[in-house]
Order: sequence, then structure tokens, then C-alpha cells
Amino acid sequence: MSPVDSGRWVWRALLAQRLRSLLTLLGMAIGISAVSLMSALGEGVRQYVLEEFTQFGSHLLAITPGKTETFGIGGMLNTIRPLSLADAQSLGRLNGIEQVIPVVFGTAAIKHAGLSRHSNVAGVGPDAHSVWQLTLAQGRFLPHDDLESARPFAVLGSTLKQELFGDGQVLGETVHIGSVRFVVIGVLAPKGQFLGTDLDDSAYIPVSRGLRLFNRESLMEIDVVYRPGISAELISHRVKQRLIARHGLEDFTLITQDEVLKSLDQILQMLKYAGGSLGFISLLVGGVGILSIMLITTTERANEIGLLRALGCSAGQVRNLFLGEAIVLALAGCVLGLIITASLLLLSRWLLPGLPLTLAPHMVFLALSVSALIGLLAGVKPATAAAAMNPIEALRQLE
Amino acid sequence: MTLIDQLRFNTQVLARQRWRTALLLLTISLGVASVVVLTSVGEGARRYIAGEFSALGQQILIVLPGKTETSGAAPPLYGTSPRDLTLEDANALARLSTIARIAPIIAGTARVSHGSVAREVVTLGTTPDFFPVRNLRIDLGQPLPSSAVDTASPTLVLGAKLKQELFGNSNPLNQWLRIGERRFRVVGVLEERGESLGLDMRDMAIIPIRSAEQLFNSAGLFRILLELKQIDQLELTKRQILNSIRLRHDGEDDVTLISQDSMLNSFDNVLSTLTASVGAIAAISLLVAGILIMNISLISVSQRQREIGLLKALGAPASRVRALFLHESLLLTGAGSLLGIAAGELAVALALQLLPNFPFYAPLWAELAAMLIAVGSGLLFSWWPANRAAGLDPVLAMRGAIGGHQ
Repeated sequence: MSPVDSGRWVWRALLAQRLRSLLTLLGMAIGISAVSLMSALGEGVRQYVLEEFTQFGSHLLAITPGKTETFGIGGMLNTIRPLSLADAQSLGRLNGIEQVIPVVFGTAAIKHAGLSRHSNVAGVGPDAHSVWQLTLAQGRFLPHDDLESARPFAVLGSTLKQELFGDGQVLGETVHIGSVRFVVIGVLAPKGQFLGTDLDDSAYIPVSRGLRLFNRESLMEIDVVYRPGISAELISHRVKQRLIARHGLEDFTLITQDEVLKSLDQILQMLKYAGGSLGFISLLVGGVGILSIMLITTTERANEIGLLRALGCSAGQVRNLFLGEAIVLALAGCVLGLIITASLLLLSRWLLPGLPLTLAPHMVFLALSVSALIGLLAGVKPATAAAAMNPIEALRQLE
Repeated sequence: MTLIDQLRFNTQVLARQRWRTALLLLTISLGVASVVVLTSVGEGARRYIAGEFSALGQQILIVLPGKTETSGAAPPLYGTSPRDLTLEDANALARLSTIARIAPIIAGTARVSHGSVAREVVTLGTTPDFFPVRNLRIDLGQPLPSSAVDTASPTLVLGAKLKQELFGNSNPLNQWLRIGERRFRVVGVLEERGESLGLDMRDMAIIPIRSAEQLFNSAGLFRILLELKQIDQLELTKRQILNSIRLRHDGEDDVTLISQDSMLNSFDNVLSTLTASVGAIAAISLLVAGILIMNISLISVSQRQREIGLLKALGAPASRVRALFLHESLLLTGAGSLLGIAAGELAVALALQLLPNFPFYAPLWAELAAMLIAVGSGLLFSWWPANRAAGLDPVLAMRGAIGGHQ
């Protein structure tokens, strides 16, 4: 029996039981779509979150005061070892560092002409807009004044500007933040939220003014942008050395963008795999479906098996024929499942344009090989049973 | 044919096709068990969080300095504002009639050292009421002295892990240690307890609030925890707090109030949705199992057409034949679901043994829903095969002339 003959035989056998084959591969297809849809969803969420974090560039380093492992809240707490503006300036002079943004956050009432709104206030350095990718709708960002004695200028987020000024003239107007008068020199384009803070409902003022406004000695964070081409390790080493030289001991925490992305990526990968394995349960059930249908098939077709053996087919050939049938069923189910997935993903692109869901090529490959494996596993028992039949007994087994 | 007869007929059929029955039972119970196990993880997470919150105390309200008027954004957790929230503000709130206890907090990171060992930890300045409000128990010694309400004193309570790091197994009571440049005497050690809502209470030093003001050179409070006398006075209390702050802050209520309820509710909503969707994804496998049931029922209808013909010739009406097939699938899916629930519960019990701290719990609604979906899809998918069997012509069927299902 040539491979072509075998192929034709398998094809005929499947077509002879059209409804049965269709239902079997439908079960398989639902399993495959469950797995691939869940992984596509996981991958889409991963891409989306990573993009959200890399929008600020990847050559970023954040320094917060205090050396504890309280992830993320270090900067908000008090400290007896403040991170000062002078520290920030000193870091700016390090070799390989391009920009330094000292940051202090808080909330305050911002007033103009009888209107008042409680909003976020960010005390930042003049480079913040280029590092945080803030685009200006009007005017300009904070000027490069001396860090310690910057002029009282403010840049408003789009929501804040709308609430206080409506559509009126803004540039050159004054607002009161706390008890200090600031001149508005710029308005930002809408940006949205980042980690729960609405960047549009915020005012940006010079960092030294921010420290005075909130009556704090210490910055909450220093963001450092380093030159591409230098490794994160080297730069963190330099920053560490400089700050230890200034403070006498390591009383600060360094987080590189690389580390954040790496740990975030790990969590998201895990979520993706967890999602995929949820779908895998359905795939498993589909595989058991192939197993039971193949078992029924072999007992039903005892006559045919007997005839094949009588005509000179070896037991191995019979086994391979039935194995082939199981694998073809599984693969056909997989292809149908992938088609279903692809059409659902196309639909999702139309409904959810913000979350780009794609079927990665390696997922297609993986789905096909997993299905072939499932077909193989499900076919082993029925195929060996078929091969082990006594040809004479099988032939005699008339319906 | 009585119901008993019918049942006997069905069980005989299922027993005759042992392999087939076993595989169908396997698929159904696999689907049901996975729904049970996965929802038990989600429900466990929900209960874990609820437990964390209730460990915080029953009727807690948290006051943060600063506020934003952004709708839908997270509260301003960094808690910095031009006007500090001070201990005096907290004491004014303590006089409100609906408030049972109050714990103002100044938080900061500081280096705690004893001899040559030093450790940078979160240091909380607070009042003695902090311990009952947070349900913290003292393992050794006593909590902060009652004078700590309003006077600085060099006393300190250690978290269990910090004590271990600094003193090992020796007795820390009445030993002196340094926080920054100041000296403090250990008066108590907290009972060992895990992480609680992001703050590791084991790795923490607690000192009187006035001492913390001096240590960090700042009168600004990080949070105020308030314990209400009665939970139903929540809205009234919130209004009173805002009024009181407004009186003291030149007409501005520049604080954010977070109630334990609202935090718990938002967690609850997220986790319930997650549990339901995870369960739903697992339930897709029951759909696949349903298709398999349909396929196998169709096969068995064509294989058993002689039997069906005989039944009809003996006078069984079409509805009886249909009922026979439907009952068969009902029996299968029912037994499969029960098996699945048993397997799921077993897995949950096993998981509880392995991770005793995490309250895995398979919710009853999920078990019922899984069973309902399994039985429902069994009935739905065997309806067509059963109808086909019921519609067979008895004479042709007895002759076996209708052919296999194509």
C-alpha cells in the first residue's frame, strides 16, 4: 500500500461517516479555539501593558529614598535620609546620564478667578515633558531655570485647564496653588491615566516650588535617563557610587526600567499560560472524544479490517491506517478551530481597536503539533486494538 | 414500562458498552471538576481578601491628606498636600460622638540599629489605640505606654521579623536601640502575623507619634485610622469628619475618606467577575462533552435500530423510545457531574492540605451551575438522536435496513 493509497483510504473512511467525523472535529475545534483565543488574549494584554510602560523609553532608572523592599511606596513615606535637589544635580553631571528629573507629587487646590479645583500637583524638573512624552497643546514647558530658584511658572493638564478656564485665554494668566501665585505658560495635550493618576487633571510646577509647597525636605523620586548603549548595570553602579559618596551609606532604592519590565513580563507571561491552560481542558475533552469515536469505529469496521489483513496488509499497516485516521481528524479539527479563532480575532479588532489581538505564527504551529500529538495519543489504543484483531474472526463477524 | 424498568434498561445498556460509558463519564466529570476547582481558587482569593479586611477591624474609616476631584481615578495615595493633616486634626476628630477609637499614623523609612546590626525598615509613629484598631496582638512585653497619646517617649514596639533580625533569640525587652540618631527602648514585640494589605507588620518598628514627629521633622500625618461605634453611622460620620476638617482648614475639606466597605466592595467585584469568567471558560469543555454525547448517541441509535424496532413492534410509543434515550444521557451526565464534583472537592481538600493558609472553597453556586450545564447540554445534544430513534420505522428498523448514520 503506497502512502497515496493509505491517504485515500483514510479520506474515504472519514467521508463515509460524514456527520460523525464532523461532530468529532467540531469538538476538537472548540478546544483549539479556546486555547488559542485565551493565549491571544493573554498576549494582547501583555503587549498592551508593556507598551504602556515602555512609552517613557527603556533607558530609565528611578531612585527613591529609603532602603526597604516596600515595593513602590518608599517615596511617599517620610525619611530621615532625604534625597535632595543637590543629589539630583550631582547625578546630572555623571558620565553617561542624559537627563535627570527630580519629582515630588501631591494634591492641592488650584484657584483661578473664584474657581477652585483639587487636583494632582507634580513638582518636576524642566525635562519631564520630553522623558514622560507629554505633548504641549499651547505654550511651552517649564524653562531651564536654576533648579533651586526656579521662577513660579505652571503648566496645566488639559482637564484642569478646561475646568478653570473653559475655552478662554490661558497663557499668561495666573493661578494660585496653595498660597503662591503661578503664571501659566503652557497647556498639555490630553494624555490619559497612568497607574491610577490622571495626568490630565494635574498641574506641573518647578520641583523646588513643589518641595516648598508640600513642606518636604526630600524628593519622592529621581528619574534618570541614560545614554543608549550603556548597560543598566553599569549606570546603576555609577549612580549607587555617587549617592553613597554623598550620603555615606546606601539609604536609597534603585529600580531600573529593565527590572520593572522583566518582573512585569514574568507575571504577564504566567497569566497568558494560565489562560491557555484553561482552554486546554476543553482540548483534552475533545481528545477524549476522538478516542471514543475511534474505539467505536474499529469495532464497527472489524469486517473491513479482516479483509485488509486477508489481502496481505500487515498488522503494522492496519495500525498505521487507524492512527492516521485519528491524526487527520485531530488536525482537521485544529484547522477548523484556527479558522474560528482567526475570524473571532478579526471581529475583536473591529470591536476593540485598542487591544490588538493577533494569532502569533508560533501559536499556529504549536496548535497544529499539539493536535497531531493528541490525535496520536487518542489513536494508539484503537489502532493497536484493530491491529491485534484475528483476521479470520474479524472477517467472520458479519453484521 | 415502569420507571424502574426503564432505569434497568438504561443501566444495562451503559454497562454493556463499558468503554464508551467510562470515556463519556470521564469527559463530563473532567469538565465539572475543572469548573469546581477553578472557581474554588477564585472564591478562595475572594475569601482571603475579605479575611484580610476583617482582620483590620470591623468598622474602619481611613483619612488621607489631600484630595483630587478627578472622577474615577484612584485616591491620592501619596498623601501630600500644602496643608498638613496634623495630630491636632486627629484629636478633633476623636471628639466626634460616632467615633470609638482613633489611630493617627506618621510613616517613614528609617535605619534601626542595635550594636553592629542595622536594618532599614518602615517606622510608624502612632498612639496606643493603633493596636486594637488594627487587631494587633503583643507577643512579648506590652504595647506603647498610654502616655504615648500625646507625649514623646523613647519607647518602641518591634515587629516579629525585625526582632529576629536584630536580637536573634535573645530577650529584647528593655534593650536600647537606635533609630537614626535617636535612642529607643524596646517595650514589646508584636505577635507573628503575615503581610496585611501590603504592609508587612512583621518588619516594622512602632514608636509614639510625637517621637515620630521629631524623628522625621514633620507634623504631617500619613493616615488616620478611625474605628466607628456603629457601621450604620458611616455616612453621617463622613459628613461630620469633612465638616470638622473644613472648620480647622480655612473652609477647605482637603482630605480623602476611604471606608473599608468601599475597598472591600471593589475587590469583591473584581474577584467575583474573575471567578465567574474562569468558571465559564472551564464550562466550554462541557460543551465539547455535549457534542461528544450527541455523536455517540447518534451512533448508538443506528447500532441499536433492531432493538428499537422490536420495542416499537411490542407497542412502545415514539415518546417512550425518545424518553429511553434521553434518560440514558440524563443518567450519564448526572453520574458524570456527581463524579466530577466529588473529584473537584477531593482536589480542593488536597489543595487545602498543601496550602493551609489559602481558603480554597468551591462555591455551591458553581457546583450547581456546572451540574446544570452538564445535564442541560446532555439533554440538548441527545434530543436530536433521541428524536431520530423515536421516528424510526419499526419494520425497516427491525430488518436493520436503515443503514448507519451518515
